[in-house]
Amino acid sequence: MSEQSLTKTADPAEFVPVIAPGNTYRTISDRIADIVLSKDIKLGWAFGLLISFGLLNVFAIAATYLIYMGPGIWGINQPVGWGFAIVNFVWWIGIGHAGTLISAILLLLKQDWRNSINRFSEAMTLFAVACAGLFPVLHLGRPWLAYWLSPYPNTFGYWPNFRSPLVWDFFAVSTYGTVSLLFWFVGLIPDLATLRDRAGNVWFRRIYGLLAMGWRGSARHWHNYEMAYLLLAGMSTPLVLSVHSIVSFDFAVSILPGWHSTIFPPYFVAGAVYAGFAMVLAIAIPFRKFYKLQDFITMKHVDMMCKVMLSTGLIVGYGYLMEVFFGWYSANKYERYMTWNRMFGPYWWSYWSLILTNVAIPQVLWLRKLRYNLPLVFIVCMSISIGMWLERFVIVITSLHRDYVPSSWGMYYPTVWDWATYIGTIGLFFTLLFLFIRFLPAINIFEMKHLLRHKEHEAHGLAHHPSEGGH
Amino acid sequence: MMIPALEFDSHSAPSFATRLCAIAGAICLVAGAVLSPASVWPYLLLLSYALVGLGVGALSFIALQYIVGSGWAAAFRRVPEAMIAVLPLGFVGLWVVFLAHPSLYPWQGAAHDAAPGLAWFKQAWLSWPFFLVRAAVYMALWAAFGYAMLRHSRKQDETGDVSHTKSNIHLSAGFLAVFGITSFLASVDWIMSLEPHWYSTMFGWYNFAGQFESALAVIILLVVWLERRGPLRGVINEAHLHDLGKLLFAFSTFWMYLWFSQYLLIWYSNIPEETVYFTARLRGWWMPFSMASLLLNWVVPFVVLMTIPVKRNASALTKVAVAVLVGRWFDLYLMIFPSQSPDGPVFGIWEAGMTIGAIAAVILVVRSALGAANIIPKGDPYIRESLHHH
Repeated sequence: MSEQSLTKTADPAEFVPVIAPGNTYRTISDRIADIVLSKDIKLGWAFGLLISFGLLNVFAIAATYLIYMGPGIWGINQPVGWGFAIVNFVWWIGIGHAGTLISAILLLLKQDWRNSINRFSEAMTLFAVACAGLFPVLHLGRPWLAYWLSPYPNTFGYWPNFRSPLVWDFFAVSTYGTVSLLFWFVGLIPDLATLRDRAGNVWFRRIYGLLAMGWRGSARHWHNYEMAYLLLAGMSTPLVLSVHSIVSFDFAVSILPGWHSTIFPPYFVAGAVYAGFAMVLAIAIPFRKFYKLQDFITMKHVDMMCKVMLSTGLIVGYGYLMEVFFGWYSANKYERYMTWNRMFGPYWWSYWSLILTNVAIPQVLWLRKLRYNLPLVFIVCMSISIGMWLERFVIVITSLHRDYVPSSWGMYYPTVWDWATYIGTIGLFFTLLFLFIRFLPAINIFEMKHLLRHKEHEAHGLAHHPSEGGH
Repeated sequence: MMIPALEFDSHSAPSFATRLCAIAGAICLVAGAVLSPASVWPYLLLLSYALVGLGVGALSFIALQYIVGSGWAAAFRRVPEAMIAVLPLGFVGLWVVFLAHPSLYPWQGAAHDAAPGLAWFKQAWLSWPFFLVRAAVYMALWAAFGYAMLRHSRKQDETGDVSHTKSNIHLSAGFLAVFGITSFLASVDWIMSLEPHWYSTMFGWYNFAGQFESALAVIILLVVWLERRGPLRGVINEAHLHDLGKLLFAFSTFWMYLWFSQYLLIWYSNIPEETVYFTARLRGWWMPFSMASLLLNWVVPFVVLMTIPVKRNASALTKVAVAVLVGRWFDLYLMIFPSQSPDGPVFGIWEAGMTIGAIAAVILVVRSALGAANIIPKGDPYIRESLHHH
């Protein structure tokens, strides 16, 4: 190996490849496409799908009962009008952020470790947005009137209130969903053509052929593809920041202590990326093992994602510190009480669990040795996923349940239907994910080939060959 | 391939005029302190804080490069390294303000105990000895990290040992974690407490964004200057400028994002204790200052740097960098002066002289720092990648 490729890491001894040596174009196509085209149904996959689908049915029951009875079946009350629904909405939206960050921002930053994880993280984004979108709609009370959120000419003479951040949310999330879908689909086209060409079954050939939209891999196709992909990446980049900023506005434009805080937009975005990477990694670790894809999702990827989690986690911890510091520094008795109430009020357990799971435990990622310990990393990811859920719980519940007037204080207790709806969306998410893994290439085939070529050129000291441009 | 053995000769410099300017600046400071103390002391705070910002901004730039394992910037790393030398200059300026004119901070002194509405925590936090101790701690920490990283980087020139890079990666991680907290506390202490009743949780980040943006602008100016003067000719290519331009574009937008988020949330909630900050800054002559800050810190870089050819064009890039630095001045002026002279901006001969003096002092310090080491960190493991950056 020449100096060229060694310069990618400061110390050659620590060099970990983003694609394991020994792979060729053929092995890449075979191993990724076979997951989809294989006729065998893996038992583990079927079992996972069964459980997820079961949970999805829990959601169906909970949602049906909710629509029949109304949101009174949930634990929401006065003063806690935003219960689990909003907690879960923000949690899911946040989880989607890793996909967009990986596919858009890491593309613009020319990070080659994005290539094998971008496809399924983008899929996760879509599924997470789907789960997230359900909650505000169900929380409306009359979900069948959800379309009233969109401005359209109508005979009622009503119009959405554009000064309400909830309407901004509607636009932010629907734009986010649309652009993510387009980005994901455009990226899939060359691989769909690969599947079309390799599929044995005529129906699969037809379906994949239809989706591949006549892709023949000509130079012109590639040219248009590259341009479209770059433009979509450019459009997605501000979305990574804007969506969760707008979600944070839902809280921060209010005058409620604990919600009205100017740090909220960047702090929410960092938290979203944090939660998103935790979920991507929590899925990638079993996925690569189960389908033996360790060659493509290497320890390098795990290491990088751990570092992203560590840094965004520190930013989130910084946000908590800021809240506490300003709770006292502000010399505002409501702010101070809010901070005290979070720590020592009736929901103290949620605050301290949050600090434990979201701030304390992830600090193990400082050590390289522990970042390479997969079971431990998996546990940390789970801890972060729980922690980020608790963060939203703390923000929503503890601020609402005790505001300015003690006579209007109250408590919030989630009901079985709150839990059923929440767990049900986890079922929806994983059902979609299992189906995705089985029916679409979960790793980007052609980008892996491109990466392989790039690495070979590097290894031969040709990293700067003019023909390196192209796609 | 051979790494060009280029040296930066600090003695060949036409530095007489620069020295004269620096001395004139010092005279302006002394004369102004006697004749017009009301505006000169806060102005010294502004300049010192701006210099500290350049130093820590450059240090953050280096730390970020190390921690993400990026190699492209290694070839000109000596430029941000030289900017760290500005830190002591800023520290001295700040200490002069703190010791010579503490009454700049309205909470300081006898009035403090009687000040209404300050709760115990704030009273303890904003007590003068504690304030000074904290300032010393922040400065000591930043200087220690800066010094340690500089030493490893320079030693590596001789040994070529990769262990220096590893040490600097660890130091960078430590610095960024420490800096995250200290930079926010420092901005609260030194700037926000000029208006002790006002607070915004965004303030620390907002300050950092400005520091980093201005440090990037100075890095661009120095890199282009060194490329034109010779020491970095053949080392810096369009791809380096392109990436620096992208960073400036990104961080000016980041600055705007933070500015807008802070403004929107305060405007929308309309709580008098918070809006007082912006009403003071959007009134009378402060209004054009606010507009100039937004225009130069964000609109100009955003519009001009949108296309690829501009980012690869040294002269266009330097113009944007100058605009950003002027914008940084407006930004800092708006943070400090509305509390000092609410009726409108005051800018006289002393301030002008001090500004020129500060710029001259920065040039002198950076020149001498550039001369103190090889202009290219030739022992860096990433140097080849950086020289081949495309």
